[in-house]
Amino acid sequence: MWLAWRNLNHDRFRFLVTIVGIAFAVFLMIFQGSLLVGFLRASSKSIDVTDADLWIAGRGVESFEFAAPLPERFYDIAVGVEGVEAVYRMTLGFAFWQKPSGMRQSVLLIGAEPGTGSQFPIPYVDAGQTSVASEAVLVDRSNARTLGVDVVPAGTEISARRAQVVEVIDGFGTFFGTPYVFTGYADAVRYLRWPGDAIVFLIVRVQPGHDPQEVKRALQRKLPEVDVWTRDEFSRRARAFWVRKTGAGGAILLVALLGFLVGLVIVSQNIYATTMENLEEFATLKAIGARRWYIQKVVLTQALACGIVGSFVGLLALLPLMEPIRNTISWIDMPWWLPFGMIFVGLLMCVLASVASIKKALAVEPARVFRA
Amino acid sequence: MAEEISITYGSGHAATPALRDVSLNFFPGRLVLVMGPSGSGKTTLLSVLGCMLLPDQGDVHVRGQSVRGLSESQRVDLRRHSIGYVFQAFRLFRSLTALENLVLALDVAGRAKDGAKAKAEQALAAVGLSDKWRLKPGELSGGEKQRVAIARALINDPPIVLADEPTASLDWRSGEGIAAMLLRIAKEHGKLVVVVTHDPRMTPFGQRIVKMEDGRVVEDAEQG
Ligand SMILES: Nc1ncnc2c1ncn2[C@@H]1O[C@H](COP(=O)(O)OP(=O)(O)OP(=O)(O)O)[C@@H](O)[C@H]1O
Ligand SMILES: [Mg+2]
Repeated sequence: MWLAWRNLNHDRFRFLVTIVGIAFAVFLMIFQGSLLVGFLRASSKSIDVTDADLWIAGRGVESFEFAAPLPERFYDIAVGVEGVEAVYRMTLGFAFWQKPSGMRQSVLLIGAEPGTGSQFPIPYVDAGQTSVASEAVLVDRSNARTLGVDVVPAGTEISARRAQVVEVIDGFGTFFGTPYVFTGYADAVRYLRWPGDAIVFLIVRVQPGHDPQEVKRALQRKLPEVDVWTRDEFSRRARAFWVRKTGAGGAILLVALLGFLVGLVIVSQNIYATTMENLEEFATLKAIGARRWYIQKVVLTQALACGIVGSFVGLLALLPLMEPIRNTISWIDMPWWLPFGMIFVGLLMCVLASVASIKKALAVEPARVFRA
Repeated sequence: MAEEISITYGSGHAATPALRDVSLNFFPGRLVLVMGPSGSGKTTLLSVLGCMLLPDQGDVHVRGQSVRGLSESQRVDLRRHSIGYVFQAFRLFRSLTALENLVLALDVAGRAKDGAKAKAEQALAAVGLSDKWRLKPGELSGGEKQRVAIARALINDPPIVLADEPTASLDWRSGEGIAAMLLRIAKEHGKLVVVVTHDPRMTPFGQRIVKMEDGRVVEDAEQG
C-alpha cells in the first residue's frame, strides 16, 4: 500500500494540513474527555471516599454540595434500626474565610466524624484516626493560594472564629469555584453557626451479615421524610446532577463534538482533494483490473495513515501540556484508556471522512483511460 | 473476437453512433493495426474489446468467454488476467518509481509476494531500462515511459495486449522502437496485439490492417 503513502507524500503541504487537523481534533477530544472524566469523578469524590454503605440525605437532595439539614433526632432513630452497625454525622455549608490580606472568601466547610472513612479528610490528632484536632482545618493544594495559605500551620478565621490550617491535602480541589475546607464535626457546627439542627448527612455502616438493601428499606420505613441511598446510588445521583442538570457536562461534550466535526471536515476535505487529484490514476487502476476492494484499500490507507500520524501528533502535543493544565484545573483526570479511546474515535473519523472519496474513486469510468 | 457490435453515445438528437455492426476476429501471435480518420470509432472499438465498455448490441468473446454475460466484477477479473493495456498518455503512477509501477501491477493482480521485485526488475530489463528503475515518470523521456508502460502491460503475462495510439506522443525514433517492440511481443511471445493508430510509420509493422470509417470497418487486410 505504498501507493497511498506516495500519494500523500506527493503533496506534503496538504498532508501536513490534514495531520494538523486530525491532531487538533484528537487533542481537543482527549482534553475534553479528561475534563469530563475529571468532572464526573470530582463531583462524587466526597461520597466515593467514604466507607459508608448507606447515605441518609434530606428529601430531594441531589448533590453533596447543596443539601439541607436534617432533624437531630433522626440520628437516634437511625442508630436504633435493625442491621445498623454505626451512624456518623456530617455537616456542611458555606462560610466566610478570612484571608491574611483582609479579604473574605466564601468556602464550603465540611465536618465529619471519625469513622466516615479512612480516606475522608478529617484533621486527626493521631495516625490511628481516633481523635480529631480542635480548631484545625484541611485545605486542598490547588485552593491554597486562593485561601492565602503559603505554609502550614497557618492561622486564620472562619466566620470570625479562630482556625488553623494544619495540613494541605491533595485530590479535593474544587471544581465549581468555591474551595472545600475540611474539619471535624463539632468544629464545623460551631463555624457554620447553624441555628438549630446541624446534621446534613447521616452516614450508615451496616452490620456484617445484613443486606444493605434490606437495611435501606428499614431505614426508609422509619424515616419517611428523608431519602436513603446506597453510596453508589448517591454517587451516581450527584454525578447526574452536575453533569446533566447544571449543563456543565453538555458544554464539555459539545466542545468535544466540535473538535470531532472540525477534524472530520478537514480530513474529508483533504482526502477528497487528494482523491480528485489522483482520479486519473484511480481510473488507470480500474482499467488494469483492480478490484473494488483494492481501490477502497488505497483511499482508506491514505485516510488511516493521516489518522495515525495525526493522532500521534495530537497526543504528543497534549502530554507535555498535561502538567501545566493540571496545575490550573486540578480535578482534570486522564485515565489511561482515554487517549486510546479518542485515537480510536479519530481513526473512525478518518474512515468516515474517506467515504465520499471512496465513492468518487469507485465511480470513475475506466474507459476514460483511452482519452488522452 | 467481436460480433456485430454497435455502440451509440448519447440519445435522441445528440446520439452519435460510434460503432455500427462491427464484426472482427483476432488470433494470437499477430500484430493488428486499427487505422482510420479521427472520430471513426477506433478508441471506442478498443474500449469494447478491452471490456471497459459494454456494446449496446452484439457481444465480445475473449478466449471463448462471452463478455455480455459477465458481472462488473467478473469483467474486472477478465481485464486483470487476460488483457494488458498501453495508452497514448502512458498513465504511469507519477508518485511511484519505474520499478514500483511494475510492482503495483503485480500487486493489483494479487501477485506482489516475494519475488515481485525480481520479476519487476526482469521486466524492466526486457524493455532495456534496467538502469532507470529508480526514476519516477516525471524523470523519464516519453519513449522510456512508454517502455515502462509496455513492461507493465506484460508483467502479468496476459494473452492480449491493447494499445491506443502508443506512438502519438513520441518522436520518430522512440516511436519506431515502440512499434518494433510491440511486433516482437506478438511474434515471439505469441500474444495478440491490437494497436489503434494514426501513425503511418506503424504501417510496416502491422501484420494485418483494419481500416475504419464512420463506425464501420471499411477494409481488413493481411499484409506481408
Ligand atoms: N464518451 C463519449 N461521449 C460521447 N461521444 C463520444 C464519446 N467518446 C467518443 N464519442 C464519439 O464517438 C465517435 C468515435 O469516437 P472515438 O473516440 O472512438 O474515435 P477515434 O477513432 O478514436 O478518434 P481519434 O482518432 O480522434 O482518437 C466520435 O464521434 C466521438 O465524438
Ligand atoms: Mg482515439
